[in-house]
Amino acid sequence: MYYVRYLVRYLQNEVLVLPSRVIVLVFVASLLAFPLLTQDPNILRTLIVTALFSLYAVSWDLLSGYTGQVSLGHALFFGSGAYASALLSSHLSLPPYATVPAGAAVATAAGLLVGLPCLRLRKHYLALATLAFPIMLTGFVLAFPGFSGGEGGVWRIARLTSTRVAEYYLILGVALGAVVVLWRVVESRVGLIFHAIREDETAARALGINTVRYKLLAFALSGLTAGAAGALYAHSSAARIVAPGVVLSLFMSFQPVIWTIFGGAATIYGPITGVFVLYPLLDTLNVVIPKYRMLVFALLVLLILRFMPQGISTWIRDAIERVCPSCRVRNIATRRACRACGAPLQAQSPR
Amino acid sequence: MVANILVNGLVYSGVYAMLALGFGLVFGVGRVLNLAHTAFYMVAAYGIFHFASTGFAMPLAVLLTSLGIVAVGVAVYKLVIEPVREMEATVLIATLAVAVLLQEVVLVFFGNEPRHVPPALTGFTQVVGVRVGNQEMVTLIVAVLSLIGAWFLLSRTKLGLAIRAAAQDREVANLMGINVNLVTAVVMGLGLLLAALAGIAVAPLFTVEPGMWMNPLVIVLAAVVLGGLGSLKGSLIGAVILAFAEVSVVFLVPGGSYLRTAIALLIMVCVFFIRPEGLYGSSIAEER
Amino acid sequence: MKSLISCLALAVFAFGSAVSGQVIRIGVVGPMTFIQGKHHWQGATLAAEEINAAGGVTVGGRTYTIELVRVDSNEMQPGPDAVSAVERAITASKVDFLVGGFRTEAMLAMTEVACDYKKIFLIAGAADNKLLQGRVDKNYNRYKYLFRVTPARSTYLAQAAFIQLREVMDLFRHELGIAEPKIAILAEQAEWATPIVTFLSLQINAPLAVGGLGGRLVGTWRPSALATSLTAELTAIERAGAQIVFTVFSGPVGVVFGRDWGRLQIPVAAVGINVEAQAQGWLDATGGFGAYAATVGIYASGVEVTPTTVPFIEQFTSRFGELPLFTAGTYDALYILMDAILRADSLQTDAVIKALEATDYVSTIGRIVFDELHDLMWGPDYVTGIGVQWQDGTPVAFWPREWRPDPQKLPDLVISAPGTVPYVIPPWVRDHWKGK
Repeated sequence: MYYVRYLVRYLQNEVLVLPSRVIVLVFVASLLAFPLLTQDPNILRTLIVTALFSLYAVSWDLLSGYTGQVSLGHALFFGSGAYASALLSSHLSLPPYATVPAGAAVATAAGLLVGLPCLRLRKHYLALATLAFPIMLTGFVLAFPGFSGGEGGVWRIARLTSTRVAEYYLILGVALGAVVVLWRVVESRVGLIFHAIREDETAARALGINTVRYKLLAFALSGLTAGAAGALYAHSSAARIVAPGVVLSLFMSFQPVIWTIFGGAATIYGPITGVFVLYPLLDTLNVVIPKYRMLVFALLVLLILRFMPQGISTWIRDAIERVCPSCRVRNIATRRACRACGAPLQAQSPR
Repeated sequence: MVANILVNGLVYSGVYAMLALGFGLVFGVGRVLNLAHTAFYMVAAYGIFHFASTGFAMPLAVLLTSLGIVAVGVAVYKLVIEPVREMEATVLIATLAVAVLLQEVVLVFFGNEPRHVPPALTGFTQVVGVRVGNQEMVTLIVAVLSLIGAWFLLSRTKLGLAIRAAAQDREVANLMGINVNLVTAVVMGLGLLLAALAGIAVAPLFTVEPGMWMNPLVIVLAAVVLGGLGSLKGSLIGAVILAFAEVSVVFLVPGGSYLRTAIALLIMVCVFFIRPEGLYGSSIAEER
Repeated sequence: MKSLISCLALAVFAFGSAVSGQVIRIGVVGPMTFIQGKHHWQGATLAAEEINAAGGVTVGGRTYTIELVRVDSNEMQPGPDAVSAVERAITASKVDFLVGGFRTEAMLAMTEVACDYKKIFLIAGAADNKLLQGRVDKNYNRYKYLFRVTPARSTYLAQAAFIQLREVMDLFRHELGIAEPKIAILAEQAEWATPIVTFLSLQINAPLAVGGLGGRLVGTWRPSALATSLTAELTAIERAGAQIVFTVFSGPVGVVFGRDWGRLQIPVAAVGINVEAQAQGWLDATGGFGAYAATVGIYASGVEVTPTTVPFIEQFTSRFGELPLFTAGTYDALYILMDAILRADSLQTDAVIKALEATDYVSTIGRIVFDELHDLMWGPDYVTGIGVQWQDGTPVAFWPREWRPDPQKLPDLVISAPGTVPYVIPPWVRDHWKGK
């Protein structure tokens, strides 16, 4: 009873006062309740892929948005996770609960392996060096078709669950859990250090922060998350086959960048918004106007970025919420005085 | 064998160098990583295809295509890129969206079938025992002439001075009374002119299809960083190295010629381990 | 008001069920923005129109018409699109059967979806062995829904190409006096091409006495399937001293080959597989440089493989303005399916599968009989394909012509399809090698 009262009070005081938190709450609740509404396999499959890709986009945001280590070859992590779990499932018939963690572990190792030499590279050099890695891994996959399946890819991958609804809840659960954990990480001291490295690495080093260690941590965490997404993707009902033309393609590398920038970088919720807007949209366009779908998609991305260069979710958040100038607590835009310290809120947001 | 690698490598070098120089100029002056650069090259190839098949005289077709590309490119720069120029990641995605947009527009008008542009010269010549198409010679000559033209413009004219100044230090150049926004737009036009000429020059050699921008984009990006961002000499040398790397793979490892791009990129990554700022890049300029 | 709505709903429901009861929905799967997918659709359209015009299909006393559903698999850029397109066709468009498909990578995934939903999928366009091998034989109950109606599987394509290569090598021996012709293999880096390359690499160097080709393999080049220029590869092949190039292309790189090969007049004769060279637009696409290119094919001008070949080609050409590609084999697929449904006199999936397994049908490409893998039987009595070469601006057939499938055991068996002409060594190749 106490906990119920505590929960109610928490909701009243911390969640309902801010529209952005209400949106998150409603969003999560409706995702969880969605199968009660319809169990159409097509819609569920789209949502499954959307959830997986959100995880993938968040992993990019962690490394590139927060830490500033822009990766244009993120498909390397997604692909190595997908390939590792697919190969284990196909060659050794291991069950998914063994292959998915193994895939994520391989991708973590890939993160460290790429991160280590890339520590010396800065900005654009890093971005373009990472661009090369998935292409090189593709060459490797094509060179050993007997083991890797070559261009045709790996198949005979075990399914995660027997029903689509179970798969939906499983993937949604993993994605939600991972996002919550990552959210805690970026809100902690580690997150602050990530920001510091992005803004001024030299200054961060001067403060006695071992930036090398934290950059490697970002690479490893990002690889882990992207790898988990890739491994789950390999076993999901949307893939059924893991081929280099899909999971290691240039497009796969660019996608998390598009989603994150579209949604708003260095926010966690930005990339998720980006994926949940763009992926189902692309999927729908594919049914409605297949011929013009990429045209409409590119035009939309261009227009949004032209008028909301910080990303759509950042733009919306700034429109509906104000930061209190004296105590830095967020308030709904309609309030005159800060809900925490009572200081009058300026008409202009300090941003 | 050496002669084969040399001759084929030169032709590829010419094309890659034209693209890399334009890309490097735009990056150097505008700090814009223009992922749509090779998409304009693709549109130019379609432009020349369109004008050639509707019966325009070649010189007129070349003129119309290059002017069209420059006009569209500068307009895109002014409308889409300049307003968000300060945010690098946004620029990256905006230019990628422009590239996809161009590809899709071409797809709507011309469809997916590979197209063919008649060569300016047919036949072939034996050069040091190697069979070289006359069209390849034309392409190489166009590349060399354009590169010389660009070099002349950059080193011998006042505009070139302004461009180099803006490339070296945008803020100081601004203070010295150079209209850097104008210079950036001019450089964008110049870079796209080079891309358009490259597209026109290779159209008779390569298959013209909407996806033809992807592979050159990867190579150009690699060439520019390999040479060192911001260094025009570096871009050219990077392009030559990658072109020769690709061609050598075809001749030395025939069964692996699909690996040409992967191996060229491996070379780039290896260079980075030794020189993280590329061959001719300066680490100091990057810090700024 | 409420009763009005329920009345309306009932009417709609009744109407809907009445219509769907008389319709067989067939999903035509293919990359619809590419020529391969276009021909998937056009071949199926032709067959559906013919069948419907002839009164449809009568099963169990009820007459059904065929309705085609366009399933754009977007498989040239492989990704989740192919899977979602097929699943959507089955669950939302409610197709009863599926035909088509092109790229192995996408087909492996799409056929999994079809088997999940227990829908019969007649593969028309993908050649890879493992679409059926290792599936229908290993796990019949899951994969029994898959059949292949065109083309012959990779191994058999390689077999046909092997015989055609032998014919061209014989020409070099007899006409140019080259006892041991040198061969280069130029194959796109794709899944289906690899077994063909392996098979031929072994056969080329094997002496004639043991049934090999008695030639010399000078090298194998594997460019990317998306390469836009092959000048480096071709000059390397010339330098290696090859007289014949054996091509294995299914994608647009085939056009690149034709253009660069003719433009540079590389002194090698071409034979092998080049899907683009089956298309009517081949000469245009190669700027006229693709003359004398050759490929294992299915359709060509004037050649009569079976009695229905020529009428089909004429109809297709007059309706759509170009020669059918092999993916237009969806035409045969529809007829084979209808034939099975009529024999089963049922639309029940298992009954139709049983009937399909018993198929013995003369299609436009030969006699269709399925083996235990649900794959095409290949050979002189069944489907062989043809050899196509571009001569004087048209694709003509040069094989099977005076073909002796088994000279030892059956010396009298000589197969010549009506309308075939001899293979022609390109003039620049002949000039280059004459007297050397």
